[in-house]
Amino acid sequence: MSNRNYNRRQFLQQSTFGVTAISAWQANIISQATTMRTNAKSCILLWMGGGPSQLDTWDPKPGSQQAGQARATQTALQGVQISDRLPETAKAMKEICLLRGMHGPEGSHPRASYWAQTGYLPSASIKHPTIGSHVSHHIGNPDADLPSFVRVGPGRNLTGAGLLGVDHDPFKITNPDQKPANTEIRTTRPRFSRRMSLLDQLEQDSSRSGAEHWTRANRKVYGKAARMITSPLMDAFDLQKENASSRETYGDGSFAAGCLMARRLVEAGVTFVEVSSNNWDTHFDNYQRTTELCSEVDRPYARLLSDLKERGLLETTLVIWMGEFGRTPRINGRGGRDHFPRAYSVALAGCGVSSGQVIGSTNATGEEIVDGKHSVPDLLTTIYDKLGIDAFHENMSSVGRPIRVVENGALIDGV
Amino acid sequence: MTNWIRCLTIVGLSGLFLTNTRANAQSVLEVAAEVDRLVDQQTQPSPNKICDDETFLRRLFLDVTGKTPSLDDILVFSLETHPEKRTKAAELLLQDPDYGANWGRFWRDVIYYRRSNDQVLLGAPTAEQYFTDTLNSNVPWNEFTTSLITALGDIREDGSTALIAAQQGRPEETVSEISRIFLGIQIQCAQCHDHPTDRWKQTQFHELAAFFPRVAVRPQMEPRTFLVYAVDRIRFQPRTNNNRFIGTLEHRMPNFEDPTTPGPEVSPKFFINDAQLPLGTTDMDRRSALAQWVTSVDNPWFAKATVNRIWAELVGEGFHEPVDDLGPDRDAIAPAAFDYLSSKFTESGYDMKWLIATIVSTRHYQLESQDRRPYDQLPFQANTAQPLRSDQLLDALLNTLRFPELPDRAELLLRRQFTDTFGYDPNILREEVAGTIPQALLLMNSDAISRQVSVRPGTMLGNLLAEVASDRQAVQELYLKTLSRRPNRKELATNLKFIQQVGNRNEAFEDILWALINTSEFKTRN
Repeated sequence: MSNRNYNRRQFLQQSTFGVTAISAWQANIISQATTMRTNAKSCILLWMGGGPSQLDTWDPKPGSQQAGQARATQTALQGVQISDRLPETAKAMKEICLLRGMHGPEGSHPRASYWAQTGYLPSASIKHPTIGSHVSHHIGNPDADLPSFVRVGPGRNLTGAGLLGVDHDPFKITNPDQKPANTEIRTTRPRFSRRMSLLDQLEQDSSRSGAEHWTRANRKVYGKAARMITSPLMDAFDLQKENASSRETYGDGSFAAGCLMARRLVEAGVTFVEVSSNNWDTHFDNYQRTTELCSEVDRPYARLLSDLKERGLLETTLVIWMGEFGRTPRINGRGGRDHFPRAYSVALAGCGVSSGQVIGSTNATGEEIVDGKHSVPDLLTTIYDKLGIDAFHENMSSVGRPIRVVENGALIDGV
Repeated sequence: MTNWIRCLTIVGLSGLFLTNTRANAQSVLEVAAEVDRLVDQQTQPSPNKICDDETFLRRLFLDVTGKTPSLDDILVFSLETHPEKRTKAAELLLQDPDYGANWGRFWRDVIYYRRSNDQVLLGAPTAEQYFTDTLNSNVPWNEFTTSLITALGDIREDGSTALIAAQQGRPEETVSEISRIFLGIQIQCAQCHDHPTDRWKQTQFHELAAFFPRVAVRPQMEPRTFLVYAVDRIRFQPRTNNNRFIGTLEHRMPNFEDPTTPGPEVSPKFFINDAQLPLGTTDMDRRSALAQWVTSVDNPWFAKATVNRIWAELVGEGFHEPVDDLGPDRDAIAPAAFDYLSSKFTESGYDMKWLIATIVSTRHYQLESQDRRPYDQLPFQANTAQPLRSDQLLDALLNTLRFPELPDRAELLLRRQFTDTFGYDPNILREEVAGTIPQALLLMNSDAISRQVSVRPGTMLGNLLAEVASDRQAVQELYLKTLSRRPNRKELATNLKFIQQVGNRNEAFEDILWALINTSEFKTRN
């Protein structure tokens, strides 16, 4: 911490222009006593875009006609089996609370994704906030150097802050192996500082009328942007700064890189990180493609949980593994599985979740939920409860209609 | 673009007055004056001044063409002495193809920001082109509206499908959007229950939805697109209507007692005039009737919704706010002026260029701008500064920084980046549009812009410094090029002192240009 303050002071002293007054953005930097949140909760959403097949991941039906080639493996939990293509996850099962009784009302990607992420069906008049935006709004730290909601990787059908406003929109990282877009200062630091001071002075000198509101807003945003890109915490975005052996434990691929970045960001105080694995829409060659997808996701997911645990962060970090729906138990003519919102699985871990258990089950064919049947509002209510967010809180839409964080949800028993 | 005022001085303003053949050209100034009088009557005359020519010209250029004026434009306009030069400048700019491009993008955003999913963005470029063309050829607004309500076809070939496609043809959502955009009535609040504050009943909402059950939007592969089509005969009727690949013959009210059973069939009825059609009416007969009733001269809400939106966009404050929330149970600010301007718009034959020319000719448009008023202060005492839309900002940058001829693809990518970063839903109140960190970062640090904010041969700044030896003059020109105005005394002093302190002319001017394009003033229209 003291190290960081020292860096800032050093940076400020390099400023060569505007010795008379401390400009607004500099004052903004100085006033930041601390940005590392202590004991605050965080959340990582691993979004399995396209609708992951529950039969090839969390809810295998070995030996049945529906399973096709899919087999199951014993997990660290007595009597619980998951897909044999998730061997690392199977070992981490004691950290996980598996929900096998999820069901939803929608079978199209955009609508089901919207539903899964917001708890509402899409409408033209109201844009409902996504999970990360609610989390940022309720428990994010507005004074932190880094944004409180970061989205890693190019996902599809992802929603934004909607009625909560752009302050709670995700900060997007397209490629976790590169620095986030436009965060590299184009000049030397002293010159950047000089430019910022000039900008600030020119904003004050302008005599045009009617712009006070926008001028204030601009100065505030530039202050925050400058603070962010000059912050030592920016290193959290730089995977090169992770030591090689530690990086290796996450495995290869962009999802692995995203999981590693998620851990680094949570460590740096970011409240919500979303990492996407796309391409779960396996209408063709389901077995082969889910095998590849499982291998991309298995190790990074398991390692993320163990890494968070080793660092003492799992107690305060909720990790959600979910997609918009499941896939048909019946295998179609092209060896694929189609959309199936009627029964699918979601996995939760960390942040006080009662782990090492399975809630809900499906019948032998996987077509019907036998017990522990829950829908997205229940899941979201449970998630917000774990994060200490009031699911009944009402936000106002632009036409003055109150919109609850979650409508018609109930806590899932036992989580 | 830069030549238009030159033409203006050659032909002469009075000459243009005479050669203008539009029957209602004369009425622009008369109607504008009457609107001013009626607004003043209801509020009170503003003590604020009319803005100066430089402010006016930048405002007008951005509002009409989405671009900033060139040095020549500013110079010639300031020298012109004709008393009605502001209105004439507006009428000339409305003939510029950039007018259609600017407002085509605006209407694209009005519709697409409320899209039900991102796949339908496939149709956005086609829609934008269609809007641009209809605006430039000044197709009457009722005809344009009719084309959107009655559209059929491939969303990548026919831009009139935009509104239906954006809601994937779902009857409830499509009619909600038609009502919101073209009537300014938020009837969707009555979808699940009678409207809590307005008179609309749940039945009326579903009777409106009943104009659209036969419309469906079907995805198609190779080439990937969506088809808006209508079904008047169905072999297989799906039980649920969640999937809009297939239409239904009749709309059903949802059964709220038991959501698993289908509710009763509802016949189409328009809630404004209670005109109705029987069950069994064909799709095209339904939608043509709806379009006719929506755009009818007997339906005041059609003209009002349009006038309110355009007025709010230009003056910065609507007669009703939000711009799409009107209706008989809401009070307008300055209702006499609003009713008058709306009726004149109807009389003009729903002439959009006439409407814009008239509004920008009002004193209320031309007032100096102020921050958005607190709610306890008088309305319409000033124009209101507004953040530029993403396309306007990019065009301002492209113009100012004189980018090298970008290949189409590069410009498209840059435009997409700006849309992602600076885009906002134009349906919401402007004070709710907030700046973001990625916006600041894009202007501060992006490759494309940094390259142009440098003194290299061929850049705007490189040329300027090579041509102008005096620092004072160079600063003045830089202000004109970026902010379309001269610097005030303080600004000039700050910049000259800065140049001296830095001690390196090129570097200092790069810093100044960098600072200017990052000011709030550059990013707003004042």
